[in-house]
Amino acid sequence: MQISTEELEGGVTRVILDGRLDIVGAQAIDLKMNVIAGTKKLVLIDMQKVSFIGSMGLRTLVIPAQAIKGRGGKLVLFGPNEMVESVLKSSAIHTLIPIYHEFQSAVAALQ
Amino acid sequence: MNTHATESDGECLTLESKLSEIARVPPWIEKLSARHGIPSPIQFAMDLCLEEILSNIIRHGYAGEPNHALMIHHRINREGSFTLVVEDQAPQFNPLLVSDPPVPQSLEEISRGGHGIKLLKQFADAIEYERMSNGNRITITFIAHGSTQAGRRTTTT
Repeated sequence: MQISTEELEGGVTRVILDGRLDIVGAQAIDLKMNVIAGTKKLVLIDMQKVSFIGSMGLRTLVIPAQAIKGRGGKLVLFGPNEMVESVLKSSAIHTLIPIYHEFQSAVAALQ
Repeated sequence: MNTHATESDGECLTLESKLSEIARVPPWIEKLSARHGIPSPIQFAMDLCLEEILSNIIRHGYAGEPNHALMIHHRINREGSFTLVVEDQAPQFNPLLVSDPPVPQSLEEISRGGHGIKLLKQFADAIEYERMSNGNRITITFIAHGSTQAGRRTTTT
């Protein structure tokens, strides 16, 4: 699991995830996600290259989303594939952490 | 239970009770999928269900203790139907009796855990639990019908 960040205009941080967000993948990025959650306010998680997500991966998204909201910020998800999105929807997380498939819409939702 | 399957023919996988062992499951499923033409949505669902049930057994059934075994067997029932059988020697634990986390009404209410068994129930087409004399057996069936979101069924014996 790879994680990288990119600062966009308007104070938006794009977090690019690449790989499997399974138990091993979640453990690999949890520390960096926690740092992002504690320092950034407008966060776009780019999930285009996430091939798998399980319950531990959901936790890796939910905890930062809650922390960022607690600091007055917002986190959105961008571009999950069909199967990854079906996991997000099965756990009802999509109703509270918005999912976008158009990049500009995802950015606009943060501003 | 396919008693003829062996580790050497690739239809079985035996893991030690450590979370790191779960990393051996996806490549095993990939090989099974290539061998039996398992469609990619079923492959994803198998991957997901095994991650959830195995991590549950390791963390709760075996209470995080290493050096216990988990056995997974693959069985083809009929065209388009695939079954995985997971056996352990852990104390009795029926995942089908675990309540789903409540539907959250706000971001703060989203449960940070407890989604695993719910995902298992939603991505399998049928789940059967059996209490064995020395452990537990969970039989998970997947049916290729164009969607992994239809026709869920659970049974406890």
